[in-house]
Amino acid sequence: MLDFAIYCLTIIAVWSVLGLSLNIQFGLTGLVNFGQVLPFGLGAYAAALAAQAGLPWPAGAALGLVVAVAVSLMVLLPARRLSQDYWALITLGAGELFRLTALNAPSLGGADGLTVPRFADPHLALGAALALMAAAWLVSHRISHSPFGRLLKVLREDEVLAATLGRNPVSYQRTVSIIAWAMAAAGGVLYAHIVGYVSPSSFTVTETFIVWTALILGGPGNNLGVVVGAAAVQLLSVSSRFVASWIDLPADVLANGRLALFGLVLVLMFLFRPQGLVPEKKEVRDAQRR
Amino acid sequence: MKNFLSLAFCSALALAAVQGPARAADPIQIGVIANLTGSAVKTSVQMTRGVELAADAINAAGGIDGRPVKLIVEDSENRAQEALNAANKLYNVDKVPAAIMFGGSGLMIPVAELAKEKGRVLVNTSSSSPKLGNYPGTLFSILPLDDIVGKELGLLIADSGAKTAAIVVPNSTFGLGVAEAAAAAFESKGGKIVKKVAFTEGQPDYRADIQPVVPVKPDVIITAGYGDDSRAMLKAARELGITAKWYAAYPSILELENKAFVEGKLFGVDNGGYAQPAGKAVADKYGAKFNGTADLMAHVYYGYDALMVIAAAIKKAGSAEPAAIAKALPEVVSSYDGATGKIVWDARGQRVSPPIDVIEYKGGDFVTTATRN
Repeated sequence: MLDFAIYCLTIIAVWSVLGLSLNIQFGLTGLVNFGQVLPFGLGAYAAALAAQAGLPWPAGAALGLVVAVAVSLMVLLPARRLSQDYWALITLGAGELFRLTALNAPSLGGADGLTVPRFADPHLALGAALALMAAAWLVSHRISHSPFGRLLKVLREDEVLAATLGRNPVSYQRTVSIIAWAMAAAGGVLYAHIVGYVSPSSFTVTETFIVWTALILGGPGNNLGVVVGAAAVQLLSVSSRFVASWIDLPADVLANGRLALFGLVLVLMFLFRPQGLVPEKKEVRDAQRR
Repeated sequence: MKNFLSLAFCSALALAAVQGPARAADPIQIGVIANLTGSAVKTSVQMTRGVELAADAINAAGGIDGRPVKLIVEDSENRAQEALNAANKLYNVDKVPAAIMFGGSGLMIPVAELAKEKGRVLVNTSSSSPKLGNYPGTLFSILPLDDIVGKELGLLIADSGAKTAAIVVPNSTFGLGVAEAAAAAFESKGGKIVKKVAFTEGQPDYRADIQPVVPVKPDVIITAGYGDDSRAMLKAARELGITAKWYAAYPSILELENKAFVEGKLFGVDNGGYAQPAGKAVADKYGAKFNGTADLMAHVYYGYDALMVIAAAIKKAGSAEPAAIAKALPEVVSSYDGATGKIVWDARGQRVSPPIDVIEYKGGDFVTTATRN
């Protein structure tokens, strides 16, 4: 049981890093990234490729961060002149492009995937995941409580308003993407070493939407909400397995019921608590009273 | 929401608390991981039913040394992350010594990594990636490797007198593995591959992918696949007016889109055990439990054999410890006559030289016309 708890915590921590990264993009800045799995996958594949080449893990981590940042700039390029709705389409496409490339390029392992050295000790994996989550949290916290973060919120609410304040929205979006994608790539590097294997089937659109579910469930714009959301998604997923084992029905019926329950919880959440489990706090600042 | 989470937590803890040390009449728990939701559901459900039939048979005969078998079936949603969640629950909480799994290599290998770390047994009934050979003593395959079935398919095509062949397969480990082995065998007998199409799975229409096959007019088309993809593939070929004969690995797992289109034109090689008495007996049991055999697929036999060899290994070892099972498994399979025929493993626990049936689709059914091996 303890091993299982350690495993669940590790996964929650990794998914939280992904969620925090998405929160900087969507929760703070309003960038709709439907390709969140792309930097995650880039990080994981970089770790795998470095390991295949016999390089130590820091080389893979560095490669993952550099590639993710470079790709984020590349993806941003066509989005520069478009409104944020198009951002969703471009990132969705970019994520799929990466997956299909990995599937069809033999040097990237193809459908067979690549093996990565695993953490020998699950405790070490948990420690690393928690450390990365803490680092991601710190970065997110610093951003959201800085003047920079406040301007991102202005950008989220009204891009034109931000521009009238003499700020260039594109340069802010670029900075946000670089930070957020590097964060997600770091999560990917870690994930590859936890699971011990990467393949295109691990980086589908579904994974992106799991992160989105965690973010929306927890409360976009609130860092604590994201972590709570990631924990809720993972715990719902595993706890429903235990509940299912007490019900005597055919396994395929139970499996579908489990997913239906997951959907029902989401629908009820959106009906009765659309702001998320831990909603974003409204900050009131009175400049004159200070 | 908060209440639900705490309830879930408490329930998980309570479940852990009720597990005590094993007694003689305690059930032996065996895990099953399959894509019960997501894609490739039908095949997974079939495999799971096969395991259930085996469990019924074992328990009806008094269990293994008096201990009944209890299955714990988990859904992988056809996602690597959920497969890992399922496997972690099975190995860490339910403490199963062995799990039987249906899923592609993308799901199977992460689970094999975990099983290896935990020192447990994983029995593969679906994946045929060569990478699975990297887990000797942990992972054992009931499904034969693709290159063996593919080679038989290539030789069959050469024997049919065909001179040219086109390849139309899904871009998966299974599709490419079959295609490469079949092409190599066909070419070694003087055949010529005139076109190679590997389509990306999950699309609604494959006409654009298959179009390049039309102008080269091959004698035969080498294929492999299952589920909705195979249905869409055959539909595209019919609409494009392709008249070549089809040669498939495991033709019975293809979803036929139009029966008249493939009547007398679909051939292939399949595992030859099913037609033997042991396989027939399993089919009868399936018909009795699941209202007829109309939807029966080959995966039932692989699931059945998977649990049967685990049970035989536990009996021989006199213990349900994973290390004992892993040690006894290769010893028991050599004398096991299963629903999929005689099982021969190489040193890595991968199945080699299975009995091969030559299949033809005629009169609306798959008919065995010859046997090899």
